[in-house]
Amino acid sequence: MANRAPMLRIGQQDLKCRQGCGYYGNTQFDGLCSKCFRERNDKQRKKQRASEYHEAANSAGGSIERRSPQHSLSLDRVKKKQQQQQQHESDSSPVATASTMPRKKFTVPAVLQKTLKNTFPAAVAQQQQHQPRIPSATESQFMLQLRQLRLPDDAKRKLKSEIQRLDHEIRKYMNNHSSKNVDELSDLVQNAYTRFADIVHNDARFEIATNEDRESAIDFFEKVVMTQNHNLLFSPYFTTDEESDIKVQKRIRQLSWITSKHLDCSIDEVNAEARDLVYNAISELVGIDSYYSPQEKLLCTVRCCRHIFELLKSSKGGPASADDFLPALIFVVLKANPVRLHSNLNFVNRFTIASRVMSGEGGYYFTNLCSAIAFIENLNNESLSIGADEFESLMSGAQAFSTPWESALLACESLHLISENMKCMEQLQKRNTAISNGIKDFERELLEFQREVTEKVDTVMAKAPLTLLPIKTPPHLIAQARAHLAQDGVEAAVGHYSSNLLSGAHNQHSLIAAKGKEKEKPVEEAQLEASHTLSLKDTSVSSVGRLSPLHHQLAQTDQLFASPLFNNYTPFDAVSLLEESSEHADVLMLGHEFQGGLTNINYDFDLSDQSGDNSVADDPKLNLDEFDPLAQRGIPKAPVVAETSVLDTTLDSLIDSDVPATGVLLPSPLKPEVANYRGFSNFDIPSISCNTGDFSSLNQDVNDPGQPTNNK
Amino acid sequence: MRGIEGKVVVLGSRGVGKSRLVIKYIKNALHRSEEPTIAVSFFTCNIILENVKIKLQIWDTAGQERFRAVAPMYYRNANAAILVFDMTQYKTFTEIKSWIQELHRNVQDPMILTLVGNKMDMQSQRAVSRDEAYLFASSIGATYFETSTETDQGLEQVFLSTAMGLVRLADEGKSHSLRSFESSDSLAYTNSNTAFSYTAAALARNPDSAAFRLPYVHIGIPVDGQDVKATGEGRLETPSWAIEHIALGEVEKPRWCCY
Repeated sequence: MANRAPMLRIGQQDLKCRQGCGYYGNTQFDGLCSKCFRERNDKQRKKQRASEYHEAANSAGGSIERRSPQHSLSLDRVKKKQQQQQQHESDSSPVATASTMPRKKFTVPAVLQKTLKNTFPAAVAQQQQHQPRIPSATESQFMLQLRQLRLPDDAKRKLKSEIQRLDHEIRKYMNNHSSKNVDELSDLVQNAYTRFADIVHNDARFEIATNEDRESAIDFFEKVVMTQNHNLLFSPYFTTDEESDIKVQKRIRQLSWITSKHLDCSIDEVNAEARDLVYNAISELVGIDSYYSPQEKLLCTVRCCRHIFELLKSSKGGPASADDFLPALIFVVLKANPVRLHSNLNFVNRFTIASRVMSGEGGYYFTNLCSAIAFIENLNNESLSIGADEFESLMSGAQAFSTPWESALLACESLHLISENMKCMEQLQKRNTAISNGIKDFERELLEFQREVTEKVDTVMAKAPLTLLPIKTPPHLIAQARAHLAQDGVEAAVGHYSSNLLSGAHNQHSLIAAKGKEKEKPVEEAQLEASHTLSLKDTSVSSVGRLSPLHHQLAQTDQLFASPLFNNYTPFDAVSLLEESSEHADVLMLGHEFQGGLTNINYDFDLSDQSGDNSVADDPKLNLDEFDPLAQRGIPKAPVVAETSVLDTTLDSLIDSDVPATGVLLPSPLKPEVANYRGFSNFDIPSISCNTGDFSSLNQDVNDPGQPTNNK
Repeated sequence: MRGIEGKVVVLGSRGVGKSRLVIKYIKNALHRSEEPTIAVSFFTCNIILENVKIKLQIWDTAGQERFRAVAPMYYRNANAAILVFDMTQYKTFTEIKSWIQELHRNVQDPMILTLVGNKMDMQSQRAVSRDEAYLFASSIGATYFETSTETDQGLEQVFLSTAMGLVRLADEGKSHSLRSFESSDSLAYTNSNTAFSYTAAALARNPDSAAFRLPYVHIGIPVDGQDVKATGEGRLETPSWAIEHIALGEVEKPRWCCY
């Protein structure tokens, strides 16, 4: 391929027959003269008949290959005819004219052909798509279109048969002819078109059709045949179309430095609007290759050119003339550099109905496109009105260049990138705001939640305010208890922490009581002291007082609970107990109960230690009850209980002795810890006394212990 | 009704007003105030003369010197040529001469030639005298008109005379590229996208009207070329620039054929 050069450089010797017979050889005859070629072919044929085995080897000589014997027979006839014809031609005109100059066949080895084809995926795809006998999508589409044609049925049948006939003819030609010539093929197709046009216009079956319908029938005929045989007819392997394609592509690439100024056309390369229109035109131009049928390719060309006219109109501000149009088209072709340019043009030129490219808008623009390409191929420094040296250096790449188009493209690309980035940033920003909004919402919700919680808590607090009420023990009860204690004279027997603690107080009380309750205050103080010491067990006098009536019943339930206090102070238990003994319980007291529960949480721990004591604590009540009736029967229940609760602990010592007597409870193993507890309770005393705000009692309490004994 | 379809190329140097001539004519013919918007270098117009319907396909060409090489593509298969020069620039007139030579060289089919001296409105700057142009037109067998695209003078005559020449050409039957057909109404055998169609029926019905009484309406003598027989089968010339036209050196030996 590489050493192929224009005719002018070929020496006479090269043109002579390779056999050396002195006649001119012919590329079509494998470099032989017609006579030698025929002789050789005869020999080959003989060989072929002799042994089918060597068929392939013989075909390497360039005649035939992979054909059944029947085929080769029919082929021989055709070949003979053709050879005669060719001989006649070459005899009549020894120097072949341009049009009869035979195409050299097999210029590119088949393998290379294939690889070249592979470089064009479209071609491969087409080949795959047009596998024979598989009704492809296009075929079914054609069937549909055929049905839509407004023609009588028999006309359609005729149309179909004509299509099949031409199809068959083309395939036959492609398969059977040893020396293929694209002109012959073109003639074959063109003749078929003419024949079909005759049929459409003169055949009786098409009589009722209107001219438009006839036109559409012809169009359909062409379209179907061309689409079906696109793979055979488009850039056939025995032509040099592909080489031309590559050549012109290279050329255009070399000419990338050309600007619209060089071409003297009025395209503003930098203008964004103009560039868009150029892009439209370019995309149409490139799109030519994607169509199968010539008329579609032509339509594509027309669209491309219309875009160019729009472009010129916008850049010139008026209707453009051909003077402006051609340079613009050249510019577009240069910038588009479409693939398979020559193949496409030749395909249209050869296989479309002749009148299409000769006349009409499509023909006009197609001609313009052809001229543009011709111009590009023959371009020299004069046609660009620049110096020869400059042209050379630009072509060879020695001189650097920067065209506004390229710069615009670059700028465009960067602008594109920028806009892409901007889009990206915008998205990020959106997400960012979404996130910050979410955060704000979340914060608000959080605050709301906090507020709600506080509100709820506040309402609850408001509903159930924490009020630490001083323990009130009716003085007469204390007095009674004291009297009771004094009466029994069991002070010594108390031996318990509380009794020890209280002993002073009680002594004092007893003293006071003995003094005959001269004043309220000392009693009050004593009561406070007592309550302080006992506070561990009874913090809420009222609650205890309220629940105290249950003590009788609780005697049995004691086992179930860690302590009777626990029973009293746990709201749940209280409720359950209330339910059990609703006649005694006051529902309204629930709030206080609750409060008591809340306030007593701290004490639960302390009390648990004394569960043993407490568990027994109720028993004294029984005892007390036993005693009480003696002292006071008529006293209302609640105050009595309040007192009892106070006395519960004070009487612990008494009860202790009674524990075995009840038999229900074992002596508490925790008893030894009583000493500990006392110490602890000692610490507790100041804290509770603080609530009362009365320190004097504290002092008294601390200092007093000695007194009673002294007093005693 | 008979129908004739002819291809008319408009040749001339750049800036002589080729396109303007055509655009103005089409515009006037269509009685439109606005000028055509898009495709403005290809027109079709129908002219009815007596009982013949003539469809003109007007191909505008690029006049730049640099595109001279590709011009043959445009006037290939053309039936008529309108050669336009600017009468205020003598150079454009001499260029017409070279155009004519080129046409003679490259075109075998008989062709109707119409010489048009444009910019008649600029009489004061006139560089090409009427006599000279007229003589030249006669020598090449062309009809000569003087027009003005500014004042719309003589525009219709140019195209009417071309149409009449085509009718005569069809009558003689010498040109095979000229399509002649029997037509009831629509034009058969054509696939062109008719951008503009103009029926000069009003003009044609009354040939004695003012439009036809013009000083310079002379029917040109068609150029009789070598009269090469065309096959009429729609054979196409392959483009002159195709690579096939160059004989090539050593041909690679075919080894096999896979088709």
